[in-house]
Amino acid sequence: MAIVPFDRSVLKVNQAILMSVIVVGYLVGLVYHPVAWALPVLAVMMLAAVASPSLNVPRELYLHWLKPAGIVKPRVRQEDPAPHRFAQLLGGVFLVAASVFVITNILLVAWVLAWIVAALAFLNFAFDICVGCIMYAQLVRIGLLPLSREPAR
Amino acid sequence: MILLLAPLIAIAAIGGVALLLRIQKGGQRELVGTVVETTGPGSRLPSILYFTGESCTICHTAQRPALRALAAGIDPAITIREIDIAVEPDLARRYRVMSLPTTIVLDGNGQVTDINVGFANGEVLHRQLVDAGMPVAA
Repeated sequence: MAIVPFDRSVLKVNQAILMSVIVVGYLVGLVYHPVAWALPVLAVMMLAAVASPSLNVPRELYLHWLKPAGIVKPRVRQEDPAPHRFAQLLGGVFLVAASVFVITNILLVAWVLAWIVAALAFLNFAFDICVGCIMYAQLVRIGLLPLSREPAR
Repeated sequence: MILLLAPLIAIAAIGGVALLLRIQKGGQRELVGTVVETTGPGSRLPSILYFTGESCTICHTAQRPALRALAAGIDPAITIREIDIAVEPDLARRYRVMSLPTTIVLDGNGQVTDINVGFANGEVLHRQLVDAGMPVAA
């Protein structure tokens, strides 16, 4: 993995979508339960974003609309994008789990998992605290996530 | 209406994890001001312990170059010891290293004066060495 220019605004857009859909979906879902089916849609969005940049809906939204319109400014940092991808994958896994509970109609657990994702997205969005990235670092440390080693410069 | 509990349970779960992380991090901060390892009289100059690991990308791409640049600009008698946690796990445990890279600044008596969890740039480390008693060139 390399340290490359990485635009954090893509992540911010992704987090904003997650928070908005989950919070609004939850509030509407209190009176209209089928809204919980938004969670599998979010799960697919998250996992697709991890799978390929071309399938990353927030990225496309940012690059083709929000950035050109000046609504969201670029925030380019020199960093390794791998921890952020791992955090997205983690969010996707949580939403897949939530989707399973939606399918089995255990909506309390489904919304608890969704709120965990929304809260973590908020932490990252507002304070740049990436819990998934911290977990990634810990997993690398104990050797569960091997990384290629770059020569020291 | 049981769904109303969902955000509360989620926030409680996250709060619990955050508390554990804080306790863990606080445990390392407690080392500041203590001597973890007695190394003898030595040079009486401050030193840096740099904890790294083979799989730590940021260590090799950022922290090591920063330390090399720092070393080139300070008294060569000041030691910067690189410690691979896989090779010296006991030392990592004694200094409660939970994340890589970690750099620990010791004063001339081996007392911990600063702990940096994550990447620390040369400027920060230089200031910490001065605080730990490194002579500053006039």
